[in-house]
Amino acid sequence: MFRFVVAVCFLGIAAVVHAAEAPANEAVAALAQEIAGKGWIVYSARSDNGTWDLFLSRPDGSSVRNITNTPDYEEAAARFAPNSTRILYRRLAKGTQINHDQWGFQGELVISKPDGSTAVVVGGEGEFPWASWSEDGKQLVCLEKKGIKIVDLGTKQVVKELPRQGIYQQLFCSPDGKWFCGTANYQNAAWTVVRVSREDGALNVVHVFQNCTPDWCPDSEHIIYSSRPGDQKSNNGYGWTQLWMSNGDGSDAQLIYGEEGFHIYGGQLSPDSQYAMFTKCPNDGGGAESKGALMCVMRMADAPSIGGESPELRSKHANTKNGPVLELTFGWEPHWTYENVGATE
Amino acid sequence: MFISARAAHGTCVFLLLLAVLAGCGGSARTDGADPKVTSLGSIEVTAKLVDIIGEFPPNDLYDYAYVLKYEVMQTHRGEAPKTIYVGQYNPLKPRAEAADARSGEIGGNVTAFHAGEVHRIALEVPIDDYCMVGIINKYAEQTQEPIYWAVWTNRVVQ
Repeated sequence: MFRFVVAVCFLGIAAVVHAAEAPANEAVAALAQEIAGKGWIVYSARSDNGTWDLFLSRPDGSSVRNITNTPDYEEAAARFAPNSTRILYRRLAKGTQINHDQWGFQGELVISKPDGSTAVVVGGEGEFPWASWSEDGKQLVCLEKKGIKIVDLGTKQVVKELPRQGIYQQLFCSPDGKWFCGTANYQNAAWTVVRVSREDGALNVVHVFQNCTPDWCPDSEHIIYSSRPGDQKSNNGYGWTQLWMSNGDGSDAQLIYGEEGFHIYGGQLSPDSQYAMFTKCPNDGGGAESKGALMCVMRMADAPSIGGESPELRSKHANTKNGPVLELTFGWEPHWTYENVGATE
Repeated sequence: MFISARAAHGTCVFLLLLAVLAGCGGSARTDGADPKVTSLGSIEVTAKLVDIIGEFPPNDLYDYAYVLKYEVMQTHRGEAPKTIYVGQYNPLKPRAEAADARSGEIGGNVTAFHAGEVHRIALEVPIDDYCMVGIINKYAEQTQEPIYWAVWTNRVVQ
């Protein structure tokens, strides 16, 4: 009799759990269906040949294809040009460990069509460090010890230089071409996200202390970045890295997504700013040194959202919406375009 | 010759004490000069590491430079004020193992940093011209002086 009661209780609990999960799964499925046709993402991931290759897929993770498939190289950090007719990325010698903190200095810069064809190596090992696209795709924005250098892609000549003002990684030009964002030592505070005017070099702080991987939102007014607030007790006081967004002038900093047990990196918005894409990794650093991290997509209308139980995080952010989060596959530094770059002829 | 157990024990203790004392005085005097520290960088000083604020964070995941405060005892090349703030790259590593592709040529024979020790250091300034990593500076509110970049750091035993 006792066994029967236990069995009934167990089945009852299982049914309740299943009932609770079902709507969540349906919400995730609805999100996947909603974004499936919204362009393509390019990302780095380990391929069957063991090296890092570049992949194209739909934002719901479908229609995946390896667009480099080079067993003799490691490819990483691809970004679509503003008009999505090309991608740039870094190509490293086989076996080179991608350093999550130094990848912009590593390997050769390569530019190709978004399907990986007609790849052209631009410069030698370590040249054009931290190269990213200018707003019109005709120039490269590079970050060197001596400063920010804007390089004409046709002539490879430096057309403008600005002091880097302590920026030491992850420099990106805003879509309107008026600003740069980057990670800096500013007024002796390391890991500070800053914004710099392209016109006169004026700098302002966006977010101080333990921030990195800033990227521009499509409106050129907001910056999305990773932040590990220093007041956390969880993870033995180390805390967990969260996805945040601020106005370019540093105001209105707000949590986008956090989940205790995971470090959130690689954040960016979809071209219409309706969705946020990021990676979540149990180890700090985003997984570049291993196999990447789970790539995820959520609706910005659901921000801020918190995943998992995350008791400490929930106690600090009571207004979360618990929106669905679609988990894709393991990857690193995904980038999103709404152009139909993955169409096969 | 017969030696009693007690006498043998005493002899052993005496010899052990001699060995320990010899070991204590084993650090030969050195001014830290070598071809690297006397040629690299544009400034060369002998300076006392005054103090280290806080603990060095682990550098298994993030490379960084940590700013240390030195009192200059002697300037060998270039010019330096009495107090300098020096960024050491990944200070948890022995100087001989600290260099990587990002740091450029750095090194020395200091194996760990302890307040009160004296170092002979080849330097560059400002640090931003030589170092592109996070710079942890606990002295930021005490001074706005430029931060030096430690190129080569040797131990001095006086």
